[in-house]
Amino acid sequence: MFRNNYDNDSVTFSPQGRIFQVEYAQEAVKQGSVVVGVVSKTHAVLAAIKRNAEELSSYQKKIIPIDSHYGIALAGLASDARVLSNFMKQQSLASRLTYDRAIPLSEITTRIADRAQTNTQQYGRRPYGVGLLIAGVDAKGPHLFEFQPSGVTQEMVACGIGARSQMARTYLERNLDEFDDASREELIKHALRALKESLSQDKELTIDNTSIGVGGVNENFKLYEGQEIAGWLETTFESRESAPEGGEGMEVDS
Amino acid sequence: MTSIGTGYDLSNSVFSPDGRNFQVEYAVKAVENGGTAIGIRCKDGVVLALEKLITSKLLKHGANKRIATVDRNMGVVSSGLLPDGRHFVSRARDEAAEWRRFYKAPIPTSALANRMGSYVQVYTLYSSVRPFGVTSIVGGWDPESELPVDGQVGSGPSVGAGGKTEGAQHGGPFLYMIEPSGLYWGYYGAATGKGRQSAKSELEKLDLAAGNLTLEEGVKEAARIIYVAHEDSKDKDFELEMTWVSSLDGPTKGRHEEVPKELREEAERLAKKALEGDDDETDDKMEE
Amino acid sequence: MNHLPQAWGRPRDDVYGAYDSSHLQTSGPNQHTQSPVVTGTSVVAVKFKDGVVIAADNLASYGSLARFTDVKRLRRFNSQVVVGFGGDVSDMQYLDRLLNSLDIRENYSSASDSPLHAKNLHTYLSKVMYKRRSDFNPLWNHLLVAGLDGEQKPFLASADLLGTTFASSTLATGFGAHLAQPILRRTVPDEDSVQKVTKEQAVELVKECMKVLFYRDARSMDKYSIAVVTKEGVDLKEDEKLEKQSWAFAEGIRGYGTQIN
Repeated sequence: MFRNNYDNDSVTFSPQGRIFQVEYAQEAVKQGSVVVGVVSKTHAVLAAIKRNAEELSSYQKKIIPIDSHYGIALAGLASDARVLSNFMKQQSLASRLTYDRAIPLSEITTRIADRAQTNTQQYGRRPYGVGLLIAGVDAKGPHLFEFQPSGVTQEMVACGIGARSQMARTYLERNLDEFDDASREELIKHALRALKESLSQDKELTIDNTSIGVGGVNENFKLYEGQEIAGWLETTFESRESAPEGGEGMEVDS
Repeated sequence: MTSIGTGYDLSNSVFSPDGRNFQVEYAVKAVENGGTAIGIRCKDGVVLALEKLITSKLLKHGANKRIATVDRNMGVVSSGLLPDGRHFVSRARDEAAEWRRFYKAPIPTSALANRMGSYVQVYTLYSSVRPFGVTSIVGGWDPESELPVDGQVGSGPSVGAGGKTEGAQHGGPFLYMIEPSGLYWGYYGAATGKGRQSAKSELEKLDLAAGNLTLEEGVKEAARIIYVAHEDSKDKDFELEMTWVSSLDGPTKGRHEEVPKELREEAERLAKKALEGDDDETDDKMEE
Repeated sequence: MNHLPQAWGRPRDDVYGAYDSSHLQTSGPNQHTQSPVVTGTSVVAVKFKDGVVIAADNLASYGSLARFTDVKRLRRFNSQVVVGFGGDVSDMQYLDRLLNSLDIRENYSSASDSPLHAKNLHTYLSKVMYKRRSDFNPLWNHLLVAGLDGEQKPFLASADLLGTTFASSTLATGFGAHLAQPILRRTVPDEDSVQKVTKEQAVELVKECMKVLFYRDARSMDKYSIAVVTKEGVDLKEDEKLEKQSWAFAEGIRGYGTQIN
């Protein structure tokens, strides 16, 4: 990669009006393993691939429940996500304490986004190196938000971030029309299929490397791991032959 | 820009030998790539409109609103780096709230523009920060009637000894645009972002200074201008976002609100029709 | 005068001696409000099957002096909450300002299709009251929050200067707690009976209470405000007058005032 004079810190614009340090931080997100999120009229689902450092080590945490109504999935620097998730937990509890109200998802998303923005306008700080998917249900129904290190946040119908996530996004775009009316089970299957698309050929979704988070109307956000997801993995991929195969020839994000 | 690479453009707050602050100019470049934003000051209100480019099919339609409300009677639309726009809005809201705490009245649009101009300017002064990567348009309706103070006890004299001048005119629609340098002007019609050139020339045709354009006409013109400005980046899809603010007697009752769906769709229909009409004309000319 | 700006405009030390700054010192511990100054009296409210009725008179008293006679002590928060204030009027104005800024913040997001409801607001206000009393600097008020909760059901609860909260199908503050509550409870003794009460009955009941309060509470007035909160919104009337008053009973009162026998 080239070095140029404008990429030393996040307080310098390039002549084109870009901030390279922030763009580099976005690259850190692409180093993380893939996570996807999908919403229907009634549910919000997160699914993630967990990595382990070596055969005998434990798997990395990818989905963090924040409050009883929502959780986040992360791609990138896990320690940055921990800082942000602690802040989110604090803010969510404060909302419940002072207003007896579950914090609206748009609200909590802008709060972390504003924090992230500060890190891109002051010297001596670095942008966060993590991307988040924030999914759950508030008074206005199910939501999915994407958060980027630049402080950009967007409400999505479906989203995938992390390594090779372009494949997942392609799957999601192709099945976009089905999500809105999908049942809880169908939505989870879509999330798992999208996740599978991003996997390299030699890898499989297993009960060890996959996490699923589900939130819904009148249903608390819950993280499912291990044996709890065995059934979903089985039913999703039993008819693998007939499932649409879009892996070949698709571009891989670099 | 011949001085690029001479080292004077590497840090904020540094002048080049010919007296330029390059980092501010580069911030302006960030604005010039953003979706077009415009504001129109009509005789009975202000319209703000934004060309919101759709960057992904997966985005939720109609969500991700980008024209923000400050206090109750003011709106801000910006073009450029989205997070910087939110920083700007959040400061504007703090300024408005602080003004209320101090004066027990809503902040006038001019005062808000002034304060935000000062705030943005500070970010050009130090090497430890970077300038804002946004140009923001602020539109508001300053109340023309005396508003009750919170929990008002009695109302005092309406004119004269109460310190009020009889027959004095105050309030009305106002529009300002604040640039990354902190510079701001008041406008009849303001445009920024990628399509600002064509938007500006369309705004100039409206003769806004005459003060004849009504708010509803303004909404339709705003929609049309955004559609015209979008011609330059036609390959990308976009959503039109529009807000307005009128007097207490007007459709928004002095509040800054989203333009109702029906009216927006009607304005969009007319905008598309006007564009097609233009195309026909050019086709005709070509035939000739 | 010397060159030091801080000495400009002050008496010269060489002529008048050094300034005795002990005058600026206050001795003893810090003191906050010990008693209210300008006060409003009772607020009464009752739930009915579709909502809540709440009322308070338009008087602010300065001690026993009827000082301000057009004070609005019922405050509309949004289309489904009204807050009624008893106690110190300047503290009420502070709280009103607080609620105003909260409302402005709530309306930043354009689609306000999930506004703060009465229960949210009551929780918030009770935290404010409790925080202030814990700072030994209470807001000298007793408030009633009337409106609809998250399930669009009638909601009525109070918070006072100590941060105490209480919810009931009928509530009254100040003198009303003694004089109006028993009357309200005759019609609405418990939560179940709320379903049997119509809006018209509830309004009549509250008006009756306001009249009794005017008869017996020397710090009350016959001009009052009344609000009805239902799903349809807030119907707030701020310029009502007590009707069908009868002071004939006053003739029979003995042992008070100037009397011959």
